[in-house]
Amino acid sequence: MKKQNNGADSQGSEQANRLSSDIEDNIRYAQDTLGTGPDILIRRLHLFQESKAAVLSIAGITDKASVNLLVDSMLSEYREQSGLAREGDPFQALLYRMLAVGGIRSLETLYDLDVAMLEGLSVVLLDGYDRALAVNTGGGERRGVEEPSTQTVVRGPKEGFAESILTNISLLRTKIKSPNLRIEYKIIGQQTRTTVAVAYMKGISEDKVVNEVHRRLDAIETDSILDSGYIEEFIHEKKYSPFPLLQNTERPDAIAAGLLEGQVAIIVDGSPFALLAPVTFFKFFQSSEDYYQSYDIATFLRVIRFVSFFASMLLPSLYIAITTFHQEMLPTPLLISIAAQREGVPFPAIIEAMIMELTFEILREAGVRMPRIIGSAISIVGALVLGQAAVQAGLISAAMVIVVSFTAIASFVIPAVNMGTSARLIRFAMMILAGSFGVFGIMAGLMVLLTHLSGLRSFGVPYLTPISPLVKNNLKDVFVRAPWWAMNKRPALFGKPGTSRQGKQEKKAISSQSGKSGEEEEGQ
Amino acid sequence: MERISLNQLGSMIILFLIGSSSLFLLASDAGKDAWLAVFVGMLGGLALLWGVNLMIYRIAPNSNLIELINDHFGKWAGFLLSMGYVIYFCYKSIRNVREFGDLTSILLLPNTPVSAIMLIICAMAAYTVMSGVDVFFRMAEFILPIVIAIYVMLFLIIAFADLLQFDNLLPVLDKGMMSVLKAAFPGLISFPFGELILFLMFWKYVEQEGNDIIRVTIKCYLFSGLFITTTNLLILAGLGKLAPVITIPLMQLTTFIEIAKILERIDPFVALLLFTGVYFKLTAYYMGAVLALRYMTKLRQKYAVLIVGGGIYFGSSYIFKSYMEQVRIGFTLNLKYHFPIFQIAFPLLLLIVVLFKKRWNEKVHANEETE
Repeated sequence: MKKQNNGADSQGSEQANRLSSDIEDNIRYAQDTLGTGPDILIRRLHLFQESKAAVLSIAGITDKASVNLLVDSMLSEYREQSGLAREGDPFQALLYRMLAVGGIRSLETLYDLDVAMLEGLSVVLLDGYDRALAVNTGGGERRGVEEPSTQTVVRGPKEGFAESILTNISLLRTKIKSPNLRIEYKIIGQQTRTTVAVAYMKGISEDKVVNEVHRRLDAIETDSILDSGYIEEFIHEKKYSPFPLLQNTERPDAIAAGLLEGQVAIIVDGSPFALLAPVTFFKFFQSSEDYYQSYDIATFLRVIRFVSFFASMLLPSLYIAITTFHQEMLPTPLLISIAAQREGVPFPAIIEAMIMELTFEILREAGVRMPRIIGSAISIVGALVLGQAAVQAGLISAAMVIVVSFTAIASFVIPAVNMGTSARLIRFAMMILAGSFGVFGIMAGLMVLLTHLSGLRSFGVPYLTPISPLVKNNLKDVFVRAPWWAMNKRPALFGKPGTSRQGKQEKKAISSQSGKSGEEEEGQ
Repeated sequence: MERISLNQLGSMIILFLIGSSSLFLLASDAGKDAWLAVFVGMLGGLALLWGVNLMIYRIAPNSNLIELINDHFGKWAGFLLSMGYVIYFCYKSIRNVREFGDLTSILLLPNTPVSAIMLIICAMAAYTVMSGVDVFFRMAEFILPIVIAIYVMLFLIIAFADLLQFDNLLPVLDKGMMSVLKAAFPGLISFPFGELILFLMFWKYVEQEGNDIIRVTIKCYLFSGLFITTTNLLILAGLGKLAPVITIPLMQLTTFIEIAKILERIDPFVALLLFTGVYFKLTAYYMGAVLALRYMTKLRQKYAVLIVGGGIYFGSSYIFKSYMEQVRIGFTLNLKYHFPIFQIAFPLLLLIVVLFKKRWNEKVHANEETE
């Protein structure tokens, strides 16, 4: 609410200017501000015996068929000429009897006229009236619903968010058909005027969190929001941290699951990535697929993910520490083998590891940025730089190649890309610590990391919940994924504590169905 | 500030008490009966904890130690006594930093200067203290399950590696009960069981009040006491006569582990385990000193952390010439003469004064009412 006022403040005097009752003045104003390009459509017509009218719209962001229907309904009314005599006021006649298109609101000021047109509405002007009608003829070309390109699953829904906020919200509404699903909109960004939606489940989300989300969104003062990434940095706790403090996902099912556990979703027009808040460290290791496949394999995969996270963060530094400072920890045959490999290598382990890790990061970045057509080049070159050729050239040892490759693969296992990224950054700090202080350095690094993680909060929820502070009930969905029939309560810290999501299940009854079925029920 | 949960308090008490005590063979004077001495010492410590520290807490649950001292001892005596506690907390922290540094140097980094290692330790601790009491206690809650799990695994491995010979413990009470008692008092009260005086600085941050805190504190105290007794028992059973002369007996014991050619040299990891305990202990004392100093001088958090941290760093670098000197001063002088003053004498005095004042107030109150 406050935001919209702020956004308009810069427009100051213009906002106060009311529409003129002379239709030509209004049209001139629209042409002055929006230009006279080929996409600005002005359709003049005569209504009710020579009464002048006009329909203004912008091509490309309006739906052509709706605009045509709008014009048509006005002309056909003119042809019949029946309603006019009875309806004294032509403006009221237009509003209540004539326009065959849904979603109409009345405009008062010139500024609103511009805004309405830019939002994809068609504006109907009538000569002699200092008001106008904005008719919802939104449309235009947007990318359709496709399979998400990140966070892919083997089993589970294949649809992903697109750029249009209406599409995204419709995806969400088809997943949760409950009146408790509340969606509130705001406009953020003085220039881009981006629509941002806040979605939450009434009765499940904590009001405190919902209000906090609103408060922080309202406090944003910026001229542009081009992606949810902007919002993310504006609203998370102001603290320097390599860790993501909000979850982002392209998957409607992940958002729906988050909402049903009491998280609040923030959907930004123009971005297929929606945000979820609050979030904890362990959320980033859960994939939607965990809940679609059987719980035993899901638990196993979770363990694999945690191991991979630590491997991707610590493996190179452990290698450095052990080969440089604590050789006695290796079994003797392995020690001899590594020593033999390192014989011809001119660098200490830390330099060797740094070179290889940086090489890998460069390859990876190149792989992302490079045009798809020349994709095969990078795999060939990559295999040379990060492979046997490098070993034969005497630059690095074979063991190092294995360590770096494994680290690289491990960093892709984490379902949330942004958590993988933080592991990448921390890896380098850890390598430097390991190179200078060995295992002690790694331990010091981990201790500082633990302090940092313990101090982090996401919308007031401590980042390491449910381990510290301990929430026993939530432990069913952290390192293990308990079967659905065993998870009768919602996670306590996100939602209101103790609300149950389903009635008590009997194992026998549920074992014949698929485990997911109980979840959609709205048991509160 | 966020308040502390009971679970966090309990985790911290356990980590704090286990701390560095599993590094040493406690009560080595008692020879084969050292573990009995530890057990007796634990019971003595329990009396002190319940009878004095928790009693003080029960009477004044919303004040910390320094507030109480200042309330009840007047301006000058209060200031001197508070300063004494700041120095005592710092000194305790210094001893732990030094231990941490020296052991790292001996076990892991023989070529790195100790002062560099201690600088890192102090920087780590300073960062934690700067983050606040609630963050520190959450860390404890996070790390305790890991520490306990690794200890249990370690003990199991030691047991399966066939290192334990319980003959080493026999005969029990060979030298009589007196030698056990002599080893237990006051040495074991001073270290580690009497150290819970520090928690008079922390109890007031716990969100629950009264009996819950007392219950949790005593439960966790007993757990750690039994844990330390067990460690002591294992060291004695594993090393026998060697136990009292080895610098770090538990480390020595783990170097003997050899299972299936995989678990051979796990001692660097055991060293890290021990260090985790020491780290929590030194940080707890550091935090206690900062809280006390801030209460006395109204310094800002930043400066208090820097001043105390600087003091701890320089103290740990210059007070002791070597690890051996540090251990000697600690175990022969501090434990017997200095620490009991702060752990037993002053708290007892404080308790008496507080109790007396409370009685007196009640009497005055009662008199007023009758008049």
